[in-house]
Amino acid sequence: MTVNHLSAEQLRDKMNKGESLFILDVRNEGDYSDWKIEGKTIESLNIPYFEFLDDEDVADGRLPKDKEIVTVCAKGGSSRFVAEILDGKGFRATSLDGGMKAWSLVYNTVPVDEENQLKLYQINRMAKGCLSYMIFSRGEAAVVDPGRHIDFYMELAAREGAKITHILDSHLHADHISGGPALAEKTGSAYYITTSDLQGTPPFAYRPLEENKHIRFGDVEVEVLALQTPGHTPGSVSFFINKRFLLSGDTLFVGGLGRPDLGGKAREWAEMLYDTVFNQLNDLADDVLVLPAHFADLSEVNEKGIVGEGLGTIRRNNKAMQTTEKAAFTDMVAGAASTQTPPNYEAIIAINRGEKSVGEEEATELEIGPNRCAVHHHG
Amino acid sequence: MKADLTVDAKGLSCPMPIVRAKKGIDQLNAGEVMELITTDPGSVKDFQGWVKQTNHELLEHREEGGVYTFYVKKAE
Repeated sequence: MTVNHLSAEQLRDKMNKGESLFILDVRNEGDYSDWKIEGKTIESLNIPYFEFLDDEDVADGRLPKDKEIVTVCAKGGSSRFVAEILDGKGFRATSLDGGMKAWSLVYNTVPVDEENQLKLYQINRMAKGCLSYMIFSRGEAAVVDPGRHIDFYMELAAREGAKITHILDSHLHADHISGGPALAEKTGSAYYITTSDLQGTPPFAYRPLEENKHIRFGDVEVEVLALQTPGHTPGSVSFFINKRFLLSGDTLFVGGLGRPDLGGKAREWAEMLYDTVFNQLNDLADDVLVLPAHFADLSEVNEKGIVGEGLGTIRRNNKAMQTTEKAAFTDMVAGAASTQTPPNYEAIIAINRGEKSVGEEEATELEIGPNRCAVHHHG
Repeated sequence: MKADLTVDAKGLSCPMPIVRAKKGIDQLNAGEVMELITTDPGSVKDFQGWVKQTNHELLEHREEGGVYTFYVKKAE
């Protein structure tokens, strides 16, 4: 029997159209509570597939009769199994091909702004909560914090008729494998990251952001200013573009601050984060649009589908940013970070430093799971 | 550990190891022990969830070189 199925990209497109969807996630409870598909038009229910073995009717009272039900599991086997059962009972069931593994690889392009001088896209890897950016100007393109699926960026550049010339990483990522070095090699462009985050000599070429604070590309002046904004990592920077957009990496989020504890020096790094928030960012205007490298919660997505917020609003809403007393700030930020770490973060850091390399299959496995780079509960 | 039935689900991926386990345990009498052998890491947590939900008793489980072995006593 063949049952309806859809690809992760088709699911993304349905979500982009605002279709109301019912997701039946058939993984075990632990995996579901850890990480699941979320969206503003999505209703989600968890019933592990093995419950259907003993009772095929187990879900009947909890499922809609008049709506498409998308079944989801880890890799697509169990969701097909459950979809077949539901299909046989008269429900409209569709199985997500490749499960959460395939979902973790889906990228979504959202236009942020278009003016004479530049065109800015936010690229959202929805399952990971990872955000990267492409900035176009006069046939040239810069990529900020690219994920490792570099073909996606090259295709977008081709569609825009532009050549990728600059690749920037705001910091050494711990939750996903950077596409930076590979994309730089493939496109022959310059790769920028801070030396202090690399801690050693990597096997790839790069230009240190410490020495390149003003980066320009395109015929029109597009200024990319690297601000030293340590806190999440010692070498974190934010990119201030045309004095309008702050691509804030993992330093500042719509709903909170970056976590400072992934180097085992939570208090020391929290103090650096304090200096960043109250010295470096203090001079920027309230109407600067903050565009981070991650989101933690759907409430951070605005009505245009963009994860971004005015700096003034973030300042007003963020409790930590109003805590001007340094010791209290450090306590709050360092204390809040003692939750779970991103899955496999030590291996991912080693890969991003060029100390370790893995194949496609292992890379996918390492990146599977939720994003945990923000300090939660301190919006 | 001595088992009354061995279910070999090596090489099978989700949901087949648990489907085989269910078929296996249906053949046993209450109190008898089934041994399940699987190589799918994803089935480990799922199997534990299934055992808990069905009130069988997980007596022992171990992993050796990517092979997971479980001993389950059928519920009374």
